[in-house]
Order: sequence, then C-alpha cells, then structure tokens
Amino acid sequence: MILFAVGLGLVLLAGALGWALARHPSAADRVFMWGAIAGCGVALVPAISALAGLTDASAGADVAASATGGLAFGIDALSAWFLVVVLGAGAGIVAFGVPYLGSDSRQRRVRVAHLLLSVLLAALAGVVTARSIVAFLACWEVMALAAYFLVIFDYEKREVWGAGMVYLVLTHVSTLALIGMFAACAPGGVGSRFEDLRQAAAAGWVPTGLVLTLALIGFGIKAGAVPFHFWLPGAHAAAPSHVSALLSGIMLKVGIYGLLRMLALLGAPPVWWGWVVLFIGLASSVLGVLWALGQHDLKRLLAYHSVENIGIILLGVGLGALGVAYHQPAVAWLGVTGALLHALNHALFKSLLFLGAGSVARETGTREIDRLGGLARRMPRTALAFLIGSIAIVGLPPLNGFVSEWVIFRALLGTGSAGGSLRVAAAMAVGLALTGGLALACFSKLYGVVFLGRERDASLERAGTADAALAAPQVFLAACCVAIAVAPWFVISAAARTARIVVPDVSAVPVGGAPLAGASWLTALSVALLAVVLALMGARRLALRGRARRSSPTWNCAYPATTARMQYTASSYADPLLVGFGALSGVRKVRAAGSVHTEPMELVLDRLARPFWNRLLRAAARLRPLQSGGMRWYVVYAILCLLGLLLYLRFVALS
Amino acid sequence: MHSFHELILLLVVLSDFWVLGTTRLSSTIRATAIQGVLLAALPIALYLHPSVHLIGLALGTFLVKAVVLPYFLTRAIREAAVRREIEPLIGFTASLMLGAAAVALSFAIAPRLELGSIPSAMLVPVALATVIIGLIVLTTRNKALTQVVGYLILENGIYIFGLTQAERVPFLVELGVLLDVFAGVFIMGIVVFHINRAFDSLDSALLTELKD
Amino acid sequence: MLRAILGLFAILLVAPIVPGIANRVKSALTGRRGAPVLQLYADLWKLWRKGVVYSPTTSIVFRLGPAVLAATTVLATCLLPLDGATSLVGFTGDLVAFAGLLALGRFMLVLAALDTGSSFEGMGASREVTIAAFAEPALILCFTVLAMATGRLQLQDMLGPPLAQAWLAAAPSLLLGAASLFVLSLAEACRVPVDDPLTHLELTMIHEVMVLDHSGPDLALVLYAGALKMTLFGSLIVRVLVASVAVPAPVALVLLLGGLALYGALVGTVESGMARLRMNRVPQILVAASAIAGFGLILLLK
Repeated sequence: MILFAVGLGLVLLAGALGWALARHPSAADRVFMWGAIAGCGVALVPAISALAGLTDASAGADVAASATGGLAFGIDALSAWFLVVVLGAGAGIVAFGVPYLGSDSRQRRVRVAHLLLSVLLAALAGVVTARSIVAFLACWEVMALAAYFLVIFDYEKREVWGAGMVYLVLTHVSTLALIGMFAACAPGGVGSRFEDLRQAAAAGWVPTGLVLTLALIGFGIKAGAVPFHFWLPGAHAAAPSHVSALLSGIMLKVGIYGLLRMLALLGAPPVWWGWVVLFIGLASSVLGVLWALGQHDLKRLLAYHSVENIGIILLGVGLGALGVAYHQPAVAWLGVTGALLHALNHALFKSLLFLGAGSVARETGTREIDRLGGLARRMPRTALAFLIGSIAIVGLPPLNGFVSEWVIFRALLGTGSAGGSLRVAAAMAVGLALTGGLALACFSKLYGVVFLGRERDASLERAGTADAALAAPQVFLAACCVAIAVAPWFVISAAARTARIVVPDVSAVPVGGAPLAGASWLTALSVALLAVVLALMGARRLALRGRARRSSPTWNCAYPATTARMQYTASSYADPLLVGFGALSGVRKVRAAGSVHTEPMELVLDRLARPFWNRLLRAAARLRPLQSGGMRWYVVYAILCLLGLLLYLRFVALS
Repeated sequence: MHSFHELILLLVVLSDFWVLGTTRLSSTIRATAIQGVLLAALPIALYLHPSVHLIGLALGTFLVKAVVLPYFLTRAIREAAVRREIEPLIGFTASLMLGAAAVALSFAIAPRLELGSIPSAMLVPVALATVIIGLIVLTTRNKALTQVVGYLILENGIYIFGLTQAERVPFLVELGVLLDVFAGVFIMGIVVFHINRAFDSLDSALLTELKD
Repeated sequence: MLRAILGLFAILLVAPIVPGIANRVKSALTGRRGAPVLQLYADLWKLWRKGVVYSPTTSIVFRLGPAVLAATTVLATCLLPLDGATSLVGFTGDLVAFAGLLALGRFMLVLAALDTGSSFEGMGASREVTIAAFAEPALILCFTVLAMATGRLQLQDMLGPPLAQAWLAAAPSLLLGAASLFVLSLAEACRVPVDDPLTHLELTMIHEVMVLDHSGPDLALVLYAGALKMTLFGSLIVRVLVASVAVPAPVALVLLLGGLALYGALVGTVESGMARLRMNRVPQILVAASAIAGFGLILLLK
C-alpha cells in the first residue's frame, strides 16, 4: 500500500511542479511527463502483483489496505484490475498530452491543465480503491470537478461551455443518486466501510432492489449508458484530445467499476435488475453505433462509439447479474469476465483512437471528417496505430476487441443451454452481431475517408507536426492491443479470477465452460492468420517476378478528370444505412438549392431532455408570484411555517 | 396573585396589546421601555435566590432594553420627524383581535409542548404570544421604526423563552441580550444614515426589490 | 485429423466449381449455352500469370486487402467439420471466430476499395457494408438456432453428430434455419436477387465495382475468395440438412461434395427465376431472412 501511496504522491507532485515551474515551460513539461509516468508505474506495481498472485480463494480479500479516520483504501482483485486500466492507459495519455499541449500558446492555462490532469488521475485511482463511503464520495467529486475543468479548457467557445454545463449538471445528478444509494444501504450512516455494507447485505437488512436501481442511475450516468448518455458526445468532443481519451477510456469505466463493486457487496441481485441492465446494454450498443454513423465530427463519432462499447460491457454485467440470480454460474462467470476484459480493451483502443484523432486535428486544424483524406501518407505511424485501433474496436479477429466480444458471445449463447426464462437472453446475440456489423461500417468509413484516398479539401493547413512525439504513445497502446491479441490467456485468466469477486462459486462450471477454455486457440488463430497472409503475399510476389508492374491513375471507369472532391464522402457512405434505420438514426437532411447536407441530432438531448427541462422551467415559473419582493410577505411565510409546525406538534406529533 | 412573576408576565402581555393598539410612535417606544423593565425584573422574581450572575443579567437587561434602546428609538423619531403611524395593513382593531387570537392559540398549544422542568407554567404561553404578536407588528406596520419595535417585541418573547432553559444553558439568555444590542446598532443605522432622507420616506412598502 | 485435412483440401480445390455450376444452370434455364463449368479455374490461372497495375493513390492497404480476404476465408473453412465429425481447428465459441474472420476479410477489402480514391469503389464499399450490417445478425441468428438446438457452442459439434440428435427434437427450427441460411448465402455470394454477377453497369454493382482496380494475382485472390465464400455457405446449408441422416465420416464428405453441386444448381435456378432487387429492398430481404431464423428460434424457446 505504501508503494501505491508513493506512486500517487509522485503523480501529484509532478503535477504541482509542472504548474509551479511556469517560467521554464519545457523543463516543467519534462518534469511533469516523466514524473507522472513514473508515478503511474510505481502505483501499478502493487496492482499487477495483486493480479498475478491471485489464487482462486483470495479474490475478494484486500491485498493491501490502509485506513485513517473515515478514509479507508484497499486493493483487491477488482480494484487492481481497474487500477491497471486507470494507470496503464493514464500513463499513455500523459505521454501524449504533454507534447500535444506543448505547442499551445496559452501557457498559463496549460500549466493548470497539467496540474488538473495529475489530480484527476489520483482521484480516479482513489475511487477504484476506496473502501469507505466518505473516501469514495470525496474522490468521486474531486474526479468529477477536475474533469469538468479540463473539459472547458477552451472555454471561449460557446459549444465548449454548453457541453461543460450539461456534463456538470449530469455528473451531479449521478452523485446525488449515489448519495441516495449509500444512504439506503449503509447501516452505520455515512461513516460506514464497505465491509459493513457487505455484512448488512448478508444479514438481509438492505433493500437490494432500491439500492441497485439507484446504483444503475448513478453509475449509468457516469458510464454513459442510454438514456443517460447525452452529456457524453458534447463533453468528449469539446475537451482537448488527451482529456477526451481519458474521459472515454477511463472515466466511463469507473461507472462499470461501481456497478461491479455494488454487485460484489450486495450478493444476489433481483432478477428484474439483471434484465434491465441487459436491455440497457443492448440499447446502448445498437443506438450508440447507429448514432455514431451519422456524425461529421471525428471526436463526436468516437464518443458515440464509447456509448456502444459501454453497452457491450453492460451486456456482460447484465449477464453476470442474471447468471447469479438464476443460479447459472457458467453464464455469470463468462459475462463478468467478458465485461472486465472489454473494459480493459476499450480503455486501450479508445484512448489510442482519441490520441490519433488529436494528432489528425493538430495536423490539419479541423475535425470534420468530410474535409480530410489521404492522411496516411503524411502521418504513417499514426495511420498504422489507428488501423490497429479500428480493427480492435470493430471486434475483428485477431485483436483484443475480438477476445472480449468472444467471451461475451459465449456468455450470451451459453444462456441457451440454461433452463428457464434465461434462455430468452440468447436472442440478444443478434443485437451484438448488429452492433458489430454497424461498427464495421462506421470504422471502415472513418479510416477510409480520413486516412486513405486523396485529400478532399486542399485548403487545409499542413502543420507538419512532429509525428514522432505524438505517435509514440499511440504505438505503445497499439502494441498493448496486439500483445493481448497474441497472448490472451494471461489477461483472460486474470479477468476470470477477478470475476470470482462477483461470482464466488464456480465449482459447478464444466471445464469447457470456463472463460479460459479455448484461449490458446486464439493465439493459434492469430499466428495462422499472419502465416497465411505472409504466405499469400509471398506467393503473389513470386507470381509477379518478371511481370509488368505498371502505375496508372485510378480506373474510375475510364473517366480521367476526376478530382479529389469526387470521392465518396463519409456522409454518403453512411447514408444507405441511416436511411434504412429511419427516424431512429437522428439525422436530418437539409436540402438547399444545389446542395444537400445532413445534420446529426442528439436525439435524447433534443427530443427528451431539453423539452422536459423547459417544461420544468415553465412549471417553476408559475410559482414566481410567491417571490413578490415585499419584505413583509417573506416574514408572513416564516410565521405561517412556524404556526404550521406548532399546530402539527400540538395535534399530530405529540398526541 | 400566586406569585410575583405571574403578575409580571401578565403585564408583559398587556404591553404587547398596547403596542398593537396605539397609533402614536412615542407610545410604542414607551411600551417597549416598560417591557424592558418588566423583563429585567423577571429572572429575579423567578429564581428567588438570586446569584451574582442573575443580578448582573437583570441589570444588563434593564440597561439595554429599558434605557439604551428606547433612547435610540426616540432619537430616530426626532431625526425622521414622524409622529404617527399611518393605517397599517390590517387596521388597528383587526390587529387587536389577531393579537387576542394569538394569545389564545399560545395558551392552547403550550401545555402539550414537553420541555422538561420549567420554573413557571406561564412562561411558555406568554413567550409564544409575545413572539407572535411581535411578528404581527413586524409584518403589518408600514413605518420602519414600528417594524423595529415589532422586532424588539419578538426578541423579548425569545428572551422569555430562554428563561425557561436558563438553568441548563446559562448563556442563552445573555445571547438574547446581545441580540438586542444588535438591534440597537441597526436603529443607529437608521439614524446615522438617514434612511428617511435617502429614500424620501421610511415607508418599507417601497422596499419591493427583494426579488430577481 | 488426416480426414480433416483431406476435407479442407477437397473443399479448397472444389470451390471454383460451385459458381460455375450456378452460372451453367442459370444459362441453361434461360435458353443459353453459358460458360463452361470449369471457367473460373481458367480465369484464375490467366489472372495469376498476368502483370499488375497500381494507382499512385493507393497504399499498402490496397496490396494487403486481397491477401487478407483470401487468408481469412481459408481459415474460416478450417473451422467447419467438412467430413461431418471433426474440424481442423475447433474451440468453444469458434462460431464467433467464423463470423469474425469473414468480417475481417470484408473490412480489409472495403478499405482497399476506399484506398483508390474513386467514387465508384466508394459506392461499392458503402453498399457492401450496408448489406453486411444486415447480414451479420442473420448469420449469428442462424448460429444461435443451431447452438440452442444442439446445446453446443463449437461448430464441430453444432454441425456434427449432435446435430443428428437435434433433428429428432427440433426439425422445424432447423429447416427454417437452413432456409434462412440459403437467403443469406445469396447475399454473401453476391448472387441475384442481391447482386447480379453478370451486369456490366458499374452503378448497379455491389461487389464487382468494389474490386474494379484490382488486377493480376490480386484479382485472382479476390475471385477465389468469393467462390470460396459461396462454397462455405453452401457447405453450412448442406451440413445442416445432411446431418439429419447419421452417416460415417467419409460418406459424409462425399455427400457434402454432392450437396454442393446441388446447392449450386439451386442457386442457378433461383437466379434464373428472379430479377435483381432494388437497392433499398436488399436490407428488407435480409431482415426477412433474420425473421425466418428468429421464428425458428422462437419455436425452440417454447
């Protein structure tokens, strides 16, 4: 635990120094970057050793713990898993953020942003290791506020300010729900430890349904599940790219951590709650990727994809809950393992994609997809890393996205052999396949339009940024994805053992149903794929020896005078799919004389949240006359309250 | 008369009614002064073996409530050059009837409130009645000075209430006296800054901008 | 093991005949002589020996696309129990790998198409992924029906001996699944009514327009992969139907080959009787296929 505290202290110190050394910006940047990365590494050591040293029985026990007063922290398997997510991806994000902001002219703001980043990382680590309610809520609030200030980095722009406001309101609604949740389940009030919660739940004093519903609202808002997701696209698009990576890759996972922690503490969830989570997961995954298809902004598109992936993770969590409720340990084990795996994988490849988007935005000065093109020539390393990220996020073999989706599919289809009404869940596999198909469409569109082909808008600037410094963290994250793809059994076994916290009794699961079964075949598949591709390329080269290899412009059906603007745009690429889904896709077509363009709307925000908010304001305005402004009326209100209380005491309470 | 303190409490209630019924501002101030004297005598009448602390309290109360505050109020009247109260919001007769209702209500509620052992059974109802009457004066009168008098009556009611707890929380009553000092400063403010001249009247009905 | 390898090589060898049979039957039914059944072999041989033309707009992605497509299709073939009992590669949940490998091949082909910077290829890519988005759920739904009927999650078992037992209990669902797979195979193999392989108007193409710029060995790989995919789906259908009779392994392989020929003939017959659907009706036919399989699933859930 000391190592953990030292690591976090190092991160905070690096941030403070980065802020204080304002006169020597380059030195401050270096101090901050290496200090923060070193701090993350040091704090990761106890987490990784906790995961590596797990035995089957010790999954729920804290490997390291410390407590002072009301604040208690500890590292068990679940905390360790999410610490790897937070600090591992966090180190990569710091490594990108420093050179990314280094060229920004508003240096004072950049200093503060570095400090806030270190505070945010420390708060995130605190949330996933908290063991008492006070510690959890304190770190939660610090995390939310630090993230808010980072989101409004460019606060001069109106849309950034608006997005920050929506984020702030929603994160506080989520905090409110969490306070209510803890109030409902804490036997000793706000000073309780999580251990007390577990004992109270085991003794049956906790209204599990109410607590889990509030947990779903609070953590669901933070995780970005439909219908609470509408703060996500604005905030993630408005923030600077490395902050978006942190929000999408790490902060959403904290919501998932909260749900899993509550499931572990409370034991058996009610059946209906599992079904609700399953449906929310399904809706989030399908709607998230559908709405991503219509976006024109690079970062908003990636933000909606986060909604989709959170939906997939929630599918796993829902299956875990259903499996526990229906006493089907195989389904539950696979479901929670898949959710944990996908959380880690998503943190890796979503951070990678956002960092790539940041590089693209820095190089060209725009985030609009339809103006980009042919960037692979200018930014080869970024393009390669982005390709790996794209293949991973679509869930294609052999990369890590496929590994976690494979586990979740097995959980979904495994419900088919379980008895009773759980079998209906097997039909949800269709939804997961649909999101896979839509994600394939979306990312082939994104990668093809942005990096391949020719430049669509020649007037874009060519910043000629140093691709190396910005590309290094992306290559690191891509290498992590490939590593998990090639050797998945380490990660799967660690995840499987961590999942035992939620699913303690897996003795009834046959060997073939365990998460690790078949994992070695995945490696074989990756190797075989690589081998066959290389063999075919080699055969092709052999065949072309001595043959003509000519270069000629693209065929275009023999029409020679095509311009780069005649290439398919991203909007036209996605149009057939969006039209196929009709009004659900939330895209409005605006036809003017000689032009057509599409405008994506945020359906939940524009159709549900804002009208509801306006109606609330109108109803509140009807209470306006009470605030007449005359002082005596306010005193009369006070007298009436006093008299009312006295009468209540006289006639009701004390009689 | 069963005891001296009940007489005092009765006189307090009568002085409340005097304030409710009179139209002349100097009358209200005189009533406040008399209330001050009565309240100074009350702790001594309640606790028949006065300690030094109690005598000091009585002296301090007398000074603040019966001497200092009426003096400031009289000076304020002279500076503002007002003589009479214009017709209040609910009329003088209606005020008196409301005051009587308040007294009846207090005597109805008070026995049910369990407050432990208190020196006299009449303390709580009189305190409640005084508070309510003070609030009535505060809300229904138009002149700022009368509203200050209403506030002072409110405080006196709280002071009486505090005497019920004086054994347990000895400093509570002193704090009540401190509150009177605060009121005195407030009145000084009216005098010193000539609210009258700044706003062309002491009519607080014109203070309607307390909203957004 | 040896049998599995033998089955794999047999299918890999036989794959180009299946489209040939389909084309020949279609021509015969419409009163023409049509191309020889072994035409695709000749085309592949010719293309393999040709030179290649690349556009300067393209990058390494364009050169990788056909190779990855072919590799993934071949690996997907390894997952099927072609002789009715064992597959070369098998593990729990490998049906997801099957769908995933085909999707990877499609992804790289689409990227190669966008790499050329041509609006025609972009159009083809757009249509291809639209159809794929509706085809994926249909495939997984059929696999779900098979998984629930047999109670296994491995293709080797789902199409192997346990399927024979499942036929006794769940015959209607399996028939519906096979029908759904047939409609799906028409989409995946780019046949009428989804895509007409004989058209020469680029604006009406889906798959062919996507590979306009490939030439030489690359085009050979693409064409072979297309034929292999059609054979794969045909094998799926034939295995589902043939498993109703329990036969020893070598006979099953022969039955598979015979069944593929029949499948090709059936495709040709359907092609000759229907016209190409309008582009926006293609998703509807795939949703219909999903609905058929879904109905089979509902029957199983009762």
